[in-house]
Amino acid sequence: MDDKPDGRNDNPASVGRRDLMIGATLATAPFAKAATAQVTATQEGMTGRTEVSLTVNGEAKRLSLDPRASLLDTLREELALTGAKKGCDHGQCGACTVHLDGRRIASCLTLAVQADGCAVTTIEGVSPEDGSLHPMQQAFIDHDALQCGYCTPGQIMAAIACVREGHVGNADEIREYMSGNLCRCGAYAGILAAIQDAASKMRAG
Amino acid sequence: MSDMPYPDALRVDAFDKVRGVQRYAADNARPGLAHAVLATATIARGTVRRIDAAAARAVPGVRLVLTHEELNGLKPPGFLMGGGYGFQSIQPITSPHIAYRGQPIALVVADNLEAAAEGARLIRADYAAEPHQVTLDAPEADIVAQADSPLPKPMFADVKAGEADAAYAAAAIRIEADFRHPPQHQNPIEMLSTVAEWRDGHLTVHEGTQNAEAIRHGLARQLGIEPERITVLSPSAGGGFGQKNSLQAHTVLAAEAARRLERPVKLVVTRAQIFHDSSFRPASRHRIRLGADTAGRMVALIHETDSQTSRHDLFPTQYTELSARLYGIAGFRGRERLVRTDVQTPGYMRAPYEHPAAFAVECCVDELAYRLGRDPVALRLANDTTADPITGQPYSSRYLAECLRRGAARFGWDRRSMEPGSMRAEDGSLMGWGVAIGAYKAATAAAIARLRLSADGAVTFSVGVHEMGQGIRTAIFAVLVRRLGVEPGRITLEIGSTGTTPQHLTAGSWGTATAIPAAEEVCDALLRALETLPSRLSLAERLRAAGRPYLEVEVSRRAPGQPEAVMGRLTSGLPAAMGPAYPGYVSFSHVAHFVEVRVEPSTRRIRVPRVVSVADCGRVISPRTAASQLRGGVIWGIGAALREVSEVDVRYGGFLNADLAEYVLPVHADIGTIDVEFVDAPDPRLNAAGVKGLGEVSMVGVAPAIANAVHHATGRRLRALPIRVEDLL
Repeated sequence: MDDKPDGRNDNPASVGRRDLMIGATLATAPFAKAATAQVTATQEGMTGRTEVSLTVNGEAKRLSLDPRASLLDTLREELALTGAKKGCDHGQCGACTVHLDGRRIASCLTLAVQADGCAVTTIEGVSPEDGSLHPMQQAFIDHDALQCGYCTPGQIMAAIACVREGHVGNADEIREYMSGNLCRCGAYAGILAAIQDAASKMRAG
Repeated sequence: MSDMPYPDALRVDAFDKVRGVQRYAADNARPGLAHAVLATATIARGTVRRIDAAAARAVPGVRLVLTHEELNGLKPPGFLMGGGYGFQSIQPITSPHIAYRGQPIALVVADNLEAAAEGARLIRADYAAEPHQVTLDAPEADIVAQADSPLPKPMFADVKAGEADAAYAAAAIRIEADFRHPPQHQNPIEMLSTVAEWRDGHLTVHEGTQNAEAIRHGLARQLGIEPERITVLSPSAGGGFGQKNSLQAHTVLAAEAARRLERPVKLVVTRAQIFHDSSFRPASRHRIRLGADTAGRMVALIHETDSQTSRHDLFPTQYTELSARLYGIAGFRGRERLVRTDVQTPGYMRAPYEHPAAFAVECCVDELAYRLGRDPVALRLANDTTADPITGQPYSSRYLAECLRRGAARFGWDRRSMEPGSMRAEDGSLMGWGVAIGAYKAATAAAIARLRLSADGAVTFSVGVHEMGQGIRTAIFAVLVRRLGVEPGRITLEIGSTGTTPQHLTAGSWGTATAIPAAEEVCDALLRALETLPSRLSLAERLRAAGRPYLEVEVSRRAPGQPEAVMGRLTSGLPAAMGPAYPGYVSFSHVAHFVEVRVEPSTRRIRVPRVVSVADCGRVISPRTAASQLRGGVIWGIGAALREVSEVDVRYGGFLNADLAEYVLPVHADIGTIDVEFVDAPDPRLNAAGVKGLGEVSMVGVAPAIANAVHHATGRRLRALPIRVEDLL
């Protein structure tokens, strides 16, 4: 809730609660890619459809979408990847957090066309193929870093990014850089412990 | 068995939750599903004169628009507190009458969400507006004394003991203060979401809820069909906190749209709409008069409340059920009034009465400690009691003093200096240490539990309880593993969905004290049925030896003193819980919170770096999830004390800050260390398992502990929540 008077906006990979919103409105790079997406009229009606190519959890997808569709709704409704959750649809809660080309974003504030040509990683894509868990997932279990579980996929995607960004220097830094992800059940203590635990394992791995 | 503590065990559904495979209602995604979006009223009170849906109907992909002109055949759900099933008595979009800003006026259904949202934005209505009022500062005609209202008695009669007014008038020390609590919204992160689907005349509803049976029976009433033709599926709700305790206003709309379109319909109420389409914690004000003698014995407490309700329903209050029980005060008088306002009917939000009541009383008790020059912990210990001051009955168990003593030791309370402003942190900020207690009734609901053991060793268990994140699945597993010796991997739980055992409302912290004793009893029934067979064999081996493919047992369980007739309420989706007063005793859970605040000297920013909380919730069945629940309750207290307020729009009605950026919830950066401990002493009088409740008591007393800590840091007594920087400038 409190702004730190530091220059964390200098780091393009840093995401706080406000940065998430600012980032979504100012993110110009994905828009540049979206210019290549084609808007076509479908036979079924007047609705313009847009062809969008995404690589989702390593798999190439070519989709014909309503150009207004958010990346979140596309993942959930078109691809049945319902791990990312909708908690506000305004980039205010973080439950929809996924990685776009490795960077954490609010997928509800990202149009699917903005992600054209990009790699998307969701909670369904973070576990190794052998069926084991990502160290962050295991740490969330070990530290009981969840209750209802609804915000959990977003928390884990944000937490993995938080470690990769290098924002796990101390407890306060983790808290600050995880503050874009709300947990109404109040599992914050467990989430902090899980990130501290997983950070060392991710570095070792 | 209640004499043995339970071991630490992992949360049983965590593996699914961390992989994103736990399914919530809106995760139902498939081809052919239609999407629905609500359009809502832009006036605070009045009538829809004309509604224009032509533009919405013209949007490509829109398949159906429902307004009151189409939906006048739907029946109202009835009010949860008046023999019905709904969070309020009225059903939006069935009449042109507008009772509050944000009331749904149309439903737009389309092939995709984007088209439905566009259609909803294009709905236009002409209104005849009427005057409205949305605050507690209402004309006398809108104020209803609960004792004189049609609300059932003695449940909603004024609470009285002794001669409070005379004792107050004669008291050597008198403290009188007014407290204000704002409206707040529960805001579970899972939004209200329904997928409704008809197949061969049978309706299936997917919705995260605390009360699947009320949705089923309420929809049956609204749609005019038999409850047997409805199934409600809620294996896991994404938080509830009281909001999801009844039939919501949107559910029947999704069902009706699906019936008309002959295809499944998904309706997710937007976050902004949820602020007006579901219940909330009503605004309340509290006048406290507390009298004590010079030795510090509290002799009189008078607690008068005004609490917001809607114009169409009386949402009753029980603030004084709690305030009368915090201490052994001989003279108590409560008086509760309701103030009619033009809003949707308010309702239950975690510790609905107890949190505001404890805020008012516990701040006054702290003030009394300062008037007396007594240590706040010592003063509380000196006023503890073993008998309920209202009924005179003993408490089934009360380890409040133990909570206070253990918490004080854990916190390091003896290093506190009494004088306000006398403690400084290393960084120069003002440091304040505050304490407060809380309690919450230990209620119990009627239940039917069913257990099936298959010859292959698999166990299926069903009881009326919902998982909203509190950890009830993990607690039930703990009991089944201990009683039956089965591996967790062989257990299937059928809870939260209708079609098994009656899925009674899970609220009021009665989930554990309802489900766990029922689970123990049905396990015992199964063991008795198998006891003639050799005990050296496993349960499944005994079953095979008897040549049985499976064995199924069922028990019905009522709360102590509940009449047989309560089972009829249970099976028809009505509340069937009782407490805190049982025949011969009264049951409450208890807690003590110790809080450190730091106030930054120039900006007056308030931080809560450290909390110690010790709870008496009877036997702890699932230590790990219980600890998480207690920490979560503390965070709710921090939010309520320092952050959360639903800002009322006096001019236009409704709530202004209807999103998660403006309705400020606690975030990671707001939360420091929360150290929790349990007395873990069973209450065998309430039930053989020895369990009381935990979810709500966790929050009770946190806000006054913070307010008392702010006083200790700054010398300022702040009596309106939330406490903000500007209050300290």
